[in-house]
Amino acid sequence: MAELGAAIAVDYEGREPILVAGLKTAIVFLSDLSRAVPIHHNLDFLALAAYDGNGERGGRVRLLKDLDLSIRGRDVVLVEDVVDTGLTLNFLVKTLGLREPRSLAAVALLDRPYRRLVEDLPVRYVGFTVPDEFFCGYGFDLDGTWRNLPDIRLVKPAA
Amino acid sequence: MAEKVPHFQADRGEGRPRFAHDVELECAKLLDYYGIPWEYEPHTFVLEEDSHGRIVEAFAPDFYLPEQDLYVELTVMKQSLVTRKNRKLRKLRERYPDVNVKLFYRRDIERLAQRYRLDLAS
Repeated sequence: MAELGAAIAVDYEGREPILVAGLKTAIVFLSDLSRAVPIHHNLDFLALAAYDGNGERGGRVRLLKDLDLSIRGRDVVLVEDVVDTGLTLNFLVKTLGLREPRSLAAVALLDRPYRRLVEDLPVRYVGFTVPDEFFCGYGFDLDGTWRNLPDIRLVKPAA
Repeated sequence: MAEKVPHFQADRGEGRPRFAHDVELECAKLLDYYGIPWEYEPHTFVLEEDSHGRIVEAFAPDFYLPEQDLYVELTVMKQSLVTRKNRKLRKLRERYPDVNVKLFYRRDIERLAQRYRLDLAS
């Protein structure tokens, strides 16, 4: 965390970036990351409608909660719990990019680049590149529970 | 496949797709949800011809994502049974080195299903 925070601080010195996290998984990561970034910065949150598998209704991903701050002309750092396919991050980059921020980058606690469907994403900072396993704790849930575990646990499938 | 194929918004292919497997339908729905343009089996790549030029082996990846210039092949076969598919993919890469293709294994798809709560009953 200290390394990520220091890297962000170096890159955004004097620019007061906005750290934007998606609800809910990334909030634990954001709270630690924010305290590890030793420069002035703002925090904001957004929430996306989760995919419910009912594509036959013609649904599209949409914001359930938008940002409170204007990002026009600002440096935005998207705080992602995990980037794998890149579908969510791609949507955020395209959507927020229309608001003309000065810059848009992402920090991912966990990264699974081998599962990427969308390349060319601005993932500038990565905590850990992880294997194809399932995790819970530290904000990651297992059917809605275990988010509160203080660290990331590997979920082993039942024998 | 019993399930009704929805009207897709991000389908850039010609005609309505006829998916061979539920997992392909779920993948199409997921791509559609996130607004990623896709085509279903738009290209068939010749992998091998006989001495008369007749096609003896070909490969049509499940999806093509034009904005990513990426082909995606899904397989729900167990890891131990994907040797043939891996061999085809290797031949594809050898013969068409400029083609970008990714194979998603059963394990990858199960992880995606967990993450996106996909219905992969079959």
